[in-house]
Amino acid sequence: MRAMIIDDSRAMRSILRRIVTGLDFETSEAEHGQDALDQLRAGVVPDVCLVDWNMPVMDGYTFITEVRANPAWRDITLMMVTTESEQRQIVRALAAGAHEYVIKPFTPDAIVDKLSLLGLVPA
Amino acid sequence: MTTPTAFASVSALVRRETSMVYDEGKEYLVEARLNPLAAARGLGLEEYVGRLAFDAEERRKVVDALTINETSWFRDHTPYQAFTDAMVPALLERRQITRRLRIWSAACSSGQEAYSIAMLLDQHLPEGWSHEIVATDISTAMLERVRAGRYSQVEVNRGLPATSLVRYFTRAGREWEIAERLRERVTVRHLNLAAPYVGLGSFDVIWLRNVLIYFDAATKTDILRRMLPMLADDGYLLLGSSETTLDLPADLAAAWRREQIGRVPAYRRAATSLTPSLTSTGA
Amino acid sequence: MSAAAHESPASEDVRAVTEDVWMVLLGEDGGLRPRTVPADAPFDAAAWSAATTISGGWHGVVTVELDEALARLLTGRMLALTDDETATDSDVADAVGELVNMVGGNVKSLMPGPSTLSLPAVAAGRAAFGSDSALACRIDLAWQDGPVRVSVHVPQGGPR
Repeated sequence: MRAMIIDDSRAMRSILRRIVTGLDFETSEAEHGQDALDQLRAGVVPDVCLVDWNMPVMDGYTFITEVRANPAWRDITLMMVTTESEQRQIVRALAAGAHEYVIKPFTPDAIVDKLSLLGLVPA
Repeated sequence: MTTPTAFASVSALVRRETSMVYDEGKEYLVEARLNPLAAARGLGLEEYVGRLAFDAEERRKVVDALTINETSWFRDHTPYQAFTDAMVPALLERRQITRRLRIWSAACSSGQEAYSIAMLLDQHLPEGWSHEIVATDISTAMLERVRAGRYSQVEVNRGLPATSLVRYFTRAGREWEIAERLRERVTVRHLNLAAPYVGLGSFDVIWLRNVLIYFDAATKTDILRRMLPMLADDGYLLLGSSETTLDLPADLAAAWRREQIGRVPAYRRAATSLTPSLTSTGA
Repeated sequence: MSAAAHESPASEDVRAVTEDVWMVLLGEDGGLRPRTVPADAPFDAAAWSAATTISGGWHGVVTVELDEALARLLTGRMLALTDDETATDSDVADAVGELVNMVGGNVKSLMPGPSTLSLPAVAAGRAAFGSDSALACRIDLAWQDGPVRVSVHVPQGGPR
């Protein structure tokens, strides 16, 4: 399994990378939505993207909208990992095509649980 | 650090009041759970334990603290999958007359199991059917939590699908509150599993997961014997994933039949195959 | 629990949000202790400060201030640095920014929305607050003897 970690904070990418590499994922990283889209277009297509919401250049919400608009990327699972925790924002992200949503701060278990709900790691 | 004497006295207290067993080796757990209680009283652990004999209120807190069960939403997934894929459809066939299901979440802790079941029944029961989920626990503090139906962000982050979070919860300050329509399906009752089961009625599915491990062999056997009449003839008993190999006396082993439902073993009353198919459960 | 647009977050809520962030980032030893500081006293140790602005249904600025040693320790934990690796200033700015992002996002959810959360602004040194803003809530905490302050400011003419 391959995961792309999209977050403008190196510290947060590092935390998420340790969790998913612990689950035997290969990882790639992007600093914002545009960076991630460029990588997807260049052929770095992961099984799952962990997507922050508030990022410079292109935010995570715009990113998932862009990914969902391209049928070639429909197999990519999208999981928001963000401090945005207003109920209406969660609803918006799910409506735009996010499969799961983890609110920061999170424990490593929360990420593992959600990836397992998505069938990406054995339960 | 607990001295052996202090540990022994706490473990005797919990055993007396709940029949749950805290063997040697569980010192770390007793310490972790009692330290905050002792600190709240401004006492060291030793000193706090020494006072328990004279303080019924603190004894109740200790019992509460030591009987709290780790839990999360849809814990282990597979039992919930088997519940919606196999047990509920079978029960829908067999309860055409009463159109009612009764579920027991035994040792419900903070209620995540009961509410996980409530969410599934909300999605999978057809119009015109009713259901009741009875949630029991020995901890009154936990029962209060179930009644309140409020969970922290850390709790809703774990194992709860985001679609269910937004569908069944609303934000209430720092916490998330479960929808009223689910809360009113859950009846909360105080119950010690080692004591008689009175006035509960019988159930179509009993969730008795990850709690038998806390009891000694004799109490376990006794609980499983007394579970028999609590379960409808064609009902299902679910145990925790590490509790499925039970060493039971021959007559009790013969009364339960293990049946693989999807990816989980369920326990069923052995006489089921002999009863007519149109049984109904009285509530 | 719903707050009108002119309300301030409860300090108890801001404290709990901050404690959650600490526990989750640092685990077992993430416990924060309360710290008594005279009212109106400027933060006595700030070496790093980070702020994020909430605007929309509610307006306010959430600021986290930490002392140097604490900021470096926290950065080291977040980046999982080994003992012989040291965090650069840019690492610290990044980590402290993520910290205020987490606290700020959760404070935003306590207040009337919808609102947006700005990207964090991080500075070396004490945070400066303009005269057009008023302190709505402030908590002083300590982690492993290092002081931490979280404050929420609202536009002047708001609360108080």
